[in-house]
Amino acid sequence: MTPEVVPDGGPQRSAVRRRRPLTFDRISFMVVFLGLPLAVFVIFVVSPFVQALWYSLTDWSGFSSKMNFVGFDNYVRLFHDDIFLKAVRNNIELAVVVPIVTIVLALTLATLVTIGGSGTGTVRGLRNSGFYRIVSFFPYVIPAIVIGLIWAQVFTPSTGILDALLSKVGLKGFADYAWLGDARTAMPASMFVMIWGFVGFYMVLFIAAIRGIDPEVFEAARIDGAGRFRTAVSLTLPLIRDNVQTAYVYLGIAALDAFVYMQALNPGGGPQNSTLVMPQQLFTTAFAKGQFGYSTAMGVILAAVTMLFALLVFTVNWLTGGRDRKVRR
Amino acid sequence: MTTPNMSRRLFLQRAAVGTLMATGGSTLLAACASSGSDDNGSSGGGADKTADNPFGMADKATVDAVIFNGGYGYDYVSFAADIAQKKHAGSTFKVAPSTQIAQQLQPRFVGGNPPDLIDNSGANQIGFNTILDQLATLDDVFEANNYEGTKIADTLYPGAKNPGTFDGKFVAMNYVLTLYGLWYSDSLFKENGWEPPKTYDALLDLGAKAKAKGKYLFVWGKEAATYYHTLAVDSAIKEGGDEVRLALENLKDKCWSLPQLQGVFKAMETMVKNGYFVPGGAGTQFTAAQAKWSNDQQAILYPSGSWIENEMKKATKAGFNMKGIPEPTLTDSPKLPYESLRSAAGEPFIVPAKGKNVAGGKELLRAMLSKEAATNFAKTRLAPTIVKGLVPADGFGSTALQSQTAMLDAAGTNIFDYQVFGLYGMNTDQLVVWNSFLSGQTDAAGLTKGLQQITDKVRNDSSVKKIPVNK
Repeated sequence: MTPEVVPDGGPQRSAVRRRRPLTFDRISFMVVFLGLPLAVFVIFVVSPFVQALWYSLTDWSGFSSKMNFVGFDNYVRLFHDDIFLKAVRNNIELAVVVPIVTIVLALTLATLVTIGGSGTGTVRGLRNSGFYRIVSFFPYVIPAIVIGLIWAQVFTPSTGILDALLSKVGLKGFADYAWLGDARTAMPASMFVMIWGFVGFYMVLFIAAIRGIDPEVFEAARIDGAGRFRTAVSLTLPLIRDNVQTAYVYLGIAALDAFVYMQALNPGGGPQNSTLVMPQQLFTTAFAKGQFGYSTAMGVILAAVTMLFALLVFTVNWLTGGRDRKVRR
Repeated sequence: MTTPNMSRRLFLQRAAVGTLMATGGSTLLAACASSGSDDNGSSGGGADKTADNPFGMADKATVDAVIFNGGYGYDYVSFAADIAQKKHAGSTFKVAPSTQIAQQLQPRFVGGNPPDLIDNSGANQIGFNTILDQLATLDDVFEANNYEGTKIADTLYPGAKNPGTFDGKFVAMNYVLTLYGLWYSDSLFKENGWEPPKTYDALLDLGAKAKAKGKYLFVWGKEAATYYHTLAVDSAIKEGGDEVRLALENLKDKCWSLPQLQGVFKAMETMVKNGYFVPGGAGTQFTAAQAKWSNDQQAILYPSGSWIENEMKKATKAGFNMKGIPEPTLTDSPKLPYESLRSAAGEPFIVPAKGKNVAGGKELLRAMLSKEAATNFAKTRLAPTIVKGLVPADGFGSTALQSQTAMLDAAGTNIFDYQVFGLYGMNTDQLVVWNSFLSGQTDAAGLTKGLQQITDKVRNDSSVKKIPVNK
């Protein structure tokens, strides 16, 4: 921007830049583009965080402005609260299963519609791949709450489509079977609904990433005799590693929340609390039981678990070779 | 411009962490901003208290009411507001509907500017033990004269104050009279020659007879599994009297092991084992389940409060002839007679003490208790209010309403009620236990253990304010 003369270029350049005089131009630039966003961030993101941390140390009921400081009592209670611990376990289960299954499915589909097509000529996807792409994106267009309500109807015993279909093909044992009402199937059924809702979007994300790879790389691999599976595992996956990691983190966050899906499928937490998630428990504790201090502590734990999860994903990616790529840049 | 020395990956990492903080934190955000001051709002008076204006509502004032918009709608309050408006020309009565009472009003309670009148009802009602000390007492409403010039207390069913009295303070006016019973189709029973059952033995017999006809005795839905909790508790209270009721109300140790409760649980366990319940209830939405009783007639009985007729109005078979009977007793010689009922008024209306116009909130209550407004409610909702004598003998053409009047007359003073489960917000946890029990995954012992755990958890939680019940 400022046409300054940099005699030797390179490393000295930045040293000179640091000493650039604070002109009105630069100050106004910093105020508008740094100060303002920072202020918004501090007021609307950081301060509620700090406030929430404070509430989690009180016995605030939520309906008055009176509260007493109780130290870490809420946290101690949380770790003795069997229902909350059950919710934590359910959330962790979700954060493990949902992202893995979704990513494997989305990657498979993305590979099929981009490089899974005919073995001769240019590398391309299956025939009519555009059609598959649009169809599989549909679920993502529907709001999560609607997805939940639709599937709740599908899973309804006796009048739902699923039981009717299974009975039709001769599986009489499934007549009147309560998919969401049996502790053995409620969680898998709910996970299925979430994955069904997510796959289309992540497929499109991966397609875009694969499209960004130079097609010559695939052609070279094919000339070298690599099959489709080998190409996908040894070539595509490492090249779109960053996208997979981002997808994993996003999906993990969605799975740690999962509030909308679970509230639509089983508002009460499911049979034997098998589908209860932390945000649901937080919600009832706050509004039905009037214990905002305690429920804020749940929120803090939820945030901590979420951050731990992200840290874990980054660490795993780094340990499994993600760091090697930095060298190349 | 120079590009910042930051790799794309690093950027992605930071972006991801940023989003993650925002997402993980959004749940925290729900609990923000409690900056309200604790000063007392004006108690809303201003004008002198006269016979026409017993609470001293100021001239040309505004009254702000938030009404739960559930099964009864909210237009019955608008109707009363119009009447009040005529009495107080120049004042404005605003009536707003809501289905999220707790979520919507929580910031207003904290901020010290709650509405003047709230119908604190529905699944998202505010727990009474959390706002008890912020509510105005309503004794003066019942002491005042109604719009027809009679003292309001004299126009009400006895015990109208009980369900809204906590710790000796009358703070909630429950408007709609509700009673609990078993509901059935009179035409179906007559057609098959069935007798409405009075004991659990008769209930089991009827279950076998229904099964012979390819029908079920009961049906349940996942959000309403605790209707069977109500049935079991009511039957046990009829069997054992106050001893059972007070043990439950005061969260006593081992209260669920009382023989009266165990007897009922055992009978229910037999029903579940014999397949007298429509299967799959734990996965069925409750109104869909209720339609299996009122429309498909797969099940022949349903335990519920008297709102059931209004709730299922659009999903009831023609010629159903809905009737109600008191809940059955365990033996032939219960402590309370078979005719005794759990009855209490529902739809609690509260007036926050810090509202801008407390007198106005009470004035609107007075309008609702007027003959005109209460008759309008009974006629349009097919449910009686706490104002007595407004339902004609023909029950506005409803057999269910007729049988309600008959049940209340037969019960006389043998009316009981309890509030423990709603007071401490135990329903969500109890639903889980009952769904397991009714679908046959646990037996009576498992049910007892589950319910006792929920009770013990509340009793041992020092942060929950307990309200002892002595009578």
